[in-house]
Amino acid sequence: MSLNPASALNVEQLSWSVDQTQILSRVSFALSKGEMLGLIGPNGAGKSSLLRCLYRYITPDQGQIKIFGQNISGLSQKLLATKVAVVQQETPHYFEMTTEQIASMGLTPHKGLFETDSQADKQHVAEALEKVGLQHKAQQQYEQLSGGEKQRALIARAIVQKPQLLILDEPTNHLDIRYQIQILELVRQLGISVIASIHDLNLASAVCDRLLLLDEGKCIAQGLPDEVLTEAIIGDVFDVCCQISKHPQHGKPLITYFYGYQTGQPHGGEHDS
Amino acid sequence: MSLAATSFKYKALLFATALLTLVTPIAAASFGAANISFEQVITLFSSSIFGADPSGLEPFGSSNTSAITQRIVFELRLPRIILAFIAGAGLALAGSVLQTVTRNPLADPYLFGISSGASFGAVLVLSFFGSQGLVQQWLSESGSHLADALLRSGWFSHDAWWSWSSLSLPIGAFIGACFSVLLVLSLSGFGRASQVERMLLSGVATSFMFGALTSLVLYFSSPQAAASVLFWSLGSFAKASWEGLVIPAVVVCSSILIILAFKRQVIAIQAGDETAHSLGVNVAKLRLYMLLLCSLITAVLVASCGGIGFVGLMIPHTVRLLFPGQQPILITALVGGLFMIWIDVLARCLLANQELPVGIITAAIGSVFFLFVLRHRR
Repeated sequence: MSLNPASALNVEQLSWSVDQTQILSRVSFALSKGEMLGLIGPNGAGKSSLLRCLYRYITPDQGQIKIFGQNISGLSQKLLATKVAVVQQETPHYFEMTTEQIASMGLTPHKGLFETDSQADKQHVAEALEKVGLQHKAQQQYEQLSGGEKQRALIARAIVQKPQLLILDEPTNHLDIRYQIQILELVRQLGISVIASIHDLNLASAVCDRLLLLDEGKCIAQGLPDEVLTEAIIGDVFDVCCQISKHPQHGKPLITYFYGYQTGQPHGGEHDS
Repeated sequence: MSLAATSFKYKALLFATALLTLVTPIAAASFGAANISFEQVITLFSSSIFGADPSGLEPFGSSNTSAITQRIVFELRLPRIILAFIAGAGLALAGSVLQTVTRNPLADPYLFGISSGASFGAVLVLSFFGSQGLVQQWLSESGSHLADALLRSGWFSHDAWWSWSSLSLPIGAFIGACFSVLLVLSLSGFGRASQVERMLLSGVATSFMFGALTSLVLYFSSPQAAASVLFWSLGSFAKASWEGLVIPAVVVCSSILIILAFKRQVIAIQAGDETAHSLGVNVAKLRLYMLLLCSLITAVLVASCGGIGFVGLMIPHTVRLLFPGQQPILITALVGGLFMIWIDVLARCLLANQELPVGIITAAIGSVFFLFVLRHRR
């Protein structure tokens, strides 16, 4: 509790390895209350592993994670689930389940044995569905929803969970650009602390307050979008050439990539690849 | 619009199920070798519920219904109906939980090797630890005593439910079932990400292995003994008695309570291990406990009425089709029980002077259903 009271998440010196391979090495960062942190980095950088450490699906070798000043290794699994909600990108096939039931699953950590859903719970589920704009699909089968609607249903489940911290693991994969923007803006206006891994750097730049760039398990850069997304850093980490300008609407970095890498001439736009 | 229609359909189906539940025991009690009418059964039931005097409402007084009819209904048919109900409910429940916990729509106590493990345990108990201390006689090749042991063990005789002879069979079956579950779990890699996918394959292997061991024991026993074990393993409710009902009833009822208590957690596993974990569920532990619970149910039922397959596959799927979007644990148990009562009625009435083993009927219906499920899911 001696930490900054406004800090939602504090990660210090987090390391994790599998069979001598270092997946995460000494990652440290903090997330302020109500802030949205974007986790970026190339494939295999350790983004998912880092997030899994945060919701304790994997136990790190070293380092500590504090949520609102409490060390998560001391929390019971149920208590942790009332503080942290997770939305993953892929979900298995569900048996016959309606959207409403998917959302109601968020009640799980809040309920005791034999406890049934109260009127207030049902109201809460209905409100969550309304927030993600799925109130008219409440009774529809989850399997019949479109990709964007499925993702929104899972976010409704996370809202029902009443978390203080929301973790999103590539929530916008497989979605078209309209849903990518819609989902992330929806999450943003919920007003809770969010940490999300995002592939699209321009999207991350636009919607996140701060960014954390991970490469080979190490934290390469963190800070405001214009501090992290520089031509030098992107060239280093992703091996692509780009030009950074200001986005005409929000003024955050806008990345324009250059093409033509197959010919060995990074800037040669004339040649076919 | 469709919401109101769905809700209406749900209520109508619920009403139909409730009606069937009321009619089934009376109707089922009037089917069988002895000719007992529907009215006689009602009279008997009402006089036993509302006291000895039927208060003149029924045309048949208690004097009209002979003592023999009363004995047939209360001592032969009623325990049999209740045992069938408990067995159907328990197997449907076990199947439903297994399908949810392993996220495999084809899961069933049979496919996971639980039933074959329990059968093997039960056959071992029958052949080695019968009431006569059979081990030596069996070794000296007087295998026909296996049949005696079968007849004298708790499954056939009417001993009190707490006696060794009536407890040894369920215990043997449970140990066999636990063995098969542990084998399946260790083969599938406990706690691994691919656990669920490998589970079915190891279940099939385990099932074959215990089947082979059971055959081996049978091979060394006498033809009569083999025949009685064979008939037993096909499943039958013919030997049901009030005393024999206690253990299955206690096990199935407490299992229903346990499953109801952990319903949310069990449903959460459907969303994937990682999501369930993030919802506060200890997935590996819960899955292990639920598997053990299912083996307990299966073991007790195999011990008291033999091997009855495919019920655990058919009923949960049918209930899901009838009540889409619900997770009705109680309805699954209820429908399973009702289904089994009617299968038993079929078993009693299909052939004129003979009973068919229920396992044959459920397997015949079930295998067709299995193909239907596969086709339905493409």
